[in-house]
Amino acid sequence: MLSQFRSRAGDSRTLSVGVLGVGNIGTVHLKSALAMPDVTVVAAADAVPANRDRAERAGVERTYDDYATLLANEELDAAVVALPPFLHAEAVERAAEHGVDVFVEKPLARSTEEADRMLETAARAGIAVGVDHTLRYQPDVVGVKSAYEDGDVGHVPYASITRLNDGPLGRPPAETAPPSWPLDPDAAGGGTLLELGVHCFDVLEWLFGELEVRAAATGRTLDIDVEDAATVLLRAPEAGTTITLHCGSYQWEELPEVNTRLRLEGIAGTITNRDHLPENFYAGAARAALENVASRVGVADRTVFGPTFYLQAHYDALADFLEAVRTGEEPPVSGRDGQRSLALAERAYDLAAETATDEVELPEVRP
Amino acid sequence: MSAVRLAAADGDDRGGWRPDLEDRTARLESAVGAVLDARRSRLAGAERVAIAPDAHYPFHPSTGVVTDPAVVGAIAAWLDRELDVDLAVVGRSDDRIAFDRTASYLEYDRLADRFDAALIDLADVPKRNEYRAAGGRSVALTVPEPLLDSRVIAAPTLRPTAGGEVAGAARTLARLVRSTAAPARVAVAATRAIDPDLAVLDGTVAYGDGPVAANAALSGSVPAVDAVAASLFGRAVDDDAVCSALLPESARPVDVENPDGIDLDALEERLSGGRLPPAGDTHPVVSNAYRLYAAASGDAVPPQLER
Repeated sequence: MLSQFRSRAGDSRTLSVGVLGVGNIGTVHLKSALAMPDVTVVAAADAVPANRDRAERAGVERTYDDYATLLANEELDAAVVALPPFLHAEAVERAAEHGVDVFVEKPLARSTEEADRMLETAARAGIAVGVDHTLRYQPDVVGVKSAYEDGDVGHVPYASITRLNDGPLGRPPAETAPPSWPLDPDAAGGGTLLELGVHCFDVLEWLFGELEVRAAATGRTLDIDVEDAATVLLRAPEAGTTITLHCGSYQWEELPEVNTRLRLEGIAGTITNRDHLPENFYAGAARAALENVASRVGVADRTVFGPTFYLQAHYDALADFLEAVRTGEEPPVSGRDGQRSLALAERAYDLAAETATDEVELPEVRP
Repeated sequence: MSAVRLAAADGDDRGGWRPDLEDRTARLESAVGAVLDARRSRLAGAERVAIAPDAHYPFHPSTGVVTDPAVVGAIAAWLDRELDVDLAVVGRSDDRIAFDRTASYLEYDRLADRFDAALIDLADVPKRNEYRAAGGRSVALTVPEPLLDSRVIAAPTLRPTAGGEVAGAARTLARLVRSTAAPARVAVAATRAIDPDLAVLDGTVAYGDGPVAANAALSGSVPAVDAVAASLFGRAVDDDAVCSALLPESARPVDVENPDGIDLDALEERLSGGRLPPAGDTHPVVSNAYRLYAAASGDAVPPQLER
């Protein structure tokens, strides 16, 4: 097992990378990879011509209209799978046939069953699987973990995490056609629990250890086929912490503001990610610009997506994955981590369904 | 002089948004019935009525950016009860989203079932070419036949457009036709071609610089309703090319019947100068700052800023 993967251990040559899917997040990965030292992005694939055009403008050498052809034609060390979730398993299977390690956008798969099959395929082929769970790369979340581990507030009996954005329908004014797959449960595997909740599960287990899902409720603010709001009650037995998680794809978002809130209520005080956010956007932009200008004359390291810490987190996540590929280590956020987040989401769906059933079956009140 | 009729929606102590469509519809029937009763004569003899809400995209109706389907439900309930007409709710697919998708997300399909109304995507029906004067010239329009063969009630929401004008009834109708003329002239010509019987403005939740619970409904002719709506955004009739073209001097000022004593001055204070959020994923100031930064530093530009 992993023979092919391990054979690359200690290889310091430039990595050849392909990007499968160059929509918004795929383009972030593409631009990140293009900026990385010792990485060559040899090709990108996307079914949408405008996305391919954008990838070419960004500097990728070749583009394909389907990822399978790219995998067949190119000699790759690693591929970024930034396709819709219903294509993840097939893309990993194709990559496995060619012995290409994969960095998969979240959710890893549409279900744990699909993730298990995917990871079995990867293991048989000896390829590494990483997952783009980026919250743990954000400086504000890193700051929370550091403060927690330093014991700044002592024992933490209660924590809460909220992650909200505006989902596929966006905010006014309506400008572009919304994609249909995020609202199709067959294509996406679910709603906001798989879109945003999996990030939260991942970061909570990273902070507190193994989680147990105790209760959950889901909701829909429009008459759509997937939930766009979910609230989950969790327990982290090892840490002795009870946690509430809320995620939703219903709130208008105007970048660079992002609504991610993580609070740890400890005996001696509160740790919150808001206290660890980078300075404001303009100051960050000015600082990053100065650093990057300095990097051109060799006096500083260059940053990528400098003013936007959440895009920098994507860069760091991919860079860590590629470093693991280069050194033959297991990816720091592995396929098993992605599968684990899916398992917690599925447990939440089950409990939410039970809650909904209980509500329907309330006993009739009799005199 | 023209007149509009204003009515306060039933409130309760709790306030806030009620997510259940039937609950909201029931709460609005009194106010919507009051404004329709006042204009009953306009709909006399109607056999088929097409209701044209602002359903341009499935934004949440609690924001005021689209017409609350509950207002359309309350109009349908009144028409069904008082006039027993054939009902249709109309919208049009565009290059962003299909109308059936928007209608489904906003629960118009449920409303249609409840009132045995047709849900019509005007992109898919026969059309006729019409020519109407606007801005001193003839404007060629392609108008869906249901808008020409039915009595029409425009049901806009109280919000501004992306350009800052009042969205209004005339501009709601303009989105349902096709024309290559300038938008303001299309709105004027479309209103003249369709000749709607009535406008019912959804002022239950308005949008200024954000949602405002205005708890009001308003009825009258399209020009009169749009003129009042424009004034609530702090715009004089002559500042709006559509309003000024459609509302003749002889019809000004618009008389507002306000038996419930809704505080229009306070509402105007909250809505005046309101605009939709800026286009794009990021605020234009931020986008420009980022591009400047990227040019100076050589850093990558996020895809959201490349549009």
